[in-house]
Amino acid sequence: MPKIKLEFIKTGLHTSVQDLGRLGNQAYGIPVNGAMDKSSYRLANDLVGNKPGSPVLEITLIGPEIRFQGSGQIAITGANISPMINGRRVKMYNPILVNEGDRLKFGKCLRGCRSYLAVRGNWEVKKWLNSASASTVDGKELTPDSIIQEGSVISVHDSSKSVNARLFEGKKPSYSSNQTIRMIAGPEYEQLTRNTIEDLFRKSFSISQDADRMGYRLNESLVDFNPENEVISSGIVPGTIQITNSGLPIILMADGQTSGGYFRMGNVITEDLDKLAQMKPGDQLRLKLVPYHYNSSENQ
Amino acid sequence: MDVLPYGDSALLINFEQVVDDKINSQVIELSTLVNKLDGVDYTVPAYCSLTVGYNNIKTNFSQLSKEIKTLEVSNSKSQRSQRTVNIPVCYDSEYGLDLIELEELLDLSSKEIIKSHTEATYRVYMLGFVAGFAYMGALPEKLNSPRKNEPRLQVPKGSVGLAGLQTGIYPTDAPGGWQIIGRTPILTFDPAKELPAVLKPGDQIKFYSINKEEFESISTQVENGKYELEVSNA
Repeated sequence: MPKIKLEFIKTGLHTSVQDLGRLGNQAYGIPVNGAMDKSSYRLANDLVGNKPGSPVLEITLIGPEIRFQGSGQIAITGANISPMINGRRVKMYNPILVNEGDRLKFGKCLRGCRSYLAVRGNWEVKKWLNSASASTVDGKELTPDSIIQEGSVISVHDSSKSVNARLFEGKKPSYSSNQTIRMIAGPEYEQLTRNTIEDLFRKSFSISQDADRMGYRLNESLVDFNPENEVISSGIVPGTIQITNSGLPIILMADGQTSGGYFRMGNVITEDLDKLAQMKPGDQLRLKLVPYHYNSSENQ
Repeated sequence: MDVLPYGDSALLINFEQVVDDKINSQVIELSTLVNKLDGVDYTVPAYCSLTVGYNNIKTNFSQLSKEIKTLEVSNSKSQRSQRTVNIPVCYDSEYGLDLIELEELLDLSSKEIIKSHTEATYRVYMLGFVAGFAYMGALPEKLNSPRKNEPRLQVPKGSVGLAGLQTGIYPTDAPGGWQIIGRTPILTFDPAKELPAVLKPGDQIKFYSINKEEFESISTQVENGKYELEVSNA
């Protein structure tokens, strides 16, 4: 069976193997993990003909340098981090053939924050709780192949004989450093004062330097935020917008913890979590309130 | 019981917002029932709330909340399949990092703190914070401990801590602000197992004091995979 190996000469800023994550273990305090931008993730696998749920590489702002051993097919979606093979720019959203000794490098991040690299075939990576996603629970032990380090090698078995290149016909997402993110009112929203609510939807928030896969902290605190009651520790889900006691919003992301005791003012809708995953520290966002059935079958 | 939207693919069921064994039993019981409903992906039982994640193509908020409201949760203090787990703890000052500080804060001797901590039986209310971390309570009022002003960057795995009227065991090395009174040699999180969290919401917990020799001996059993959890069924 033909095999392609990815050898990591450089790791990049934060490169990890991700899939759809390990949903269903939050009751034990185990975060979901998984690709931050699910639509780009799905598309990458689709372009190389992989099954939905297959692992990909998630690449953040600064790309790795990869040397290929053997030949195969790859596709890159999401953020445009100027991908190049042997020094020549390659087309994103497009299946690409790679050959023995080819080197994939990345350059400047032009748009977005996270790029997804799919490789056709079955990935030989250790899974934990049915997912190859780099775990935030003792990841070095549990998902050692998924945390990319210098010298890491990933093997992918490619069983398909022909190249079934699928061309991308949809609309490529456009990434901007200034976005409107839609939210649904959260469990404690009703306790906000009118002043805080006005401030919440009038303000432009900037994403702090601490924004990572666990959560996006926003730099501006909300005015007049004085919650009466303390929240008794309760479940949180990716997309939950918490407010710390000093009034600073934090949006929980894919690696976020499963419970917390902060005030929960809202939840980012699923569709916009993908958009948010493509925003980086310094980018600006505004929040917009939508009804709870906005994105569901109730609205169709 | 209030059912609230919680994003476009989860809902939150709030019970009366108090820390109470009976309410927590109802949360856990409801969690089991809700997990069987069509379209439910996961639940997160907490002290007095239940988070329910669902697939918003298969179901929706109105549909699911209607189904949830028809579920019957017993009003009696449900004790079904309840087990008591006995956990060895070494309260030696080498492991009880904050015992000295607590003596002053609580106006109790270390001996009295240990006696109090081992006398009571605790309930696991929920798991969270880090994987496998069990929030247990309630402590006797005299052990009511403030959190540390400056959280430790790393609390060693197995540490047993106090915060408010709660007690807990750090399943892995993790940052934290709980007052540390001892350490258990047993694993409360074992990734090699299909269900890695050793303690479950609803479990009854009893701590007992061991000395350093016993700590070492149990540690060796744990390392060799020979240690068996001390469980008694009610």
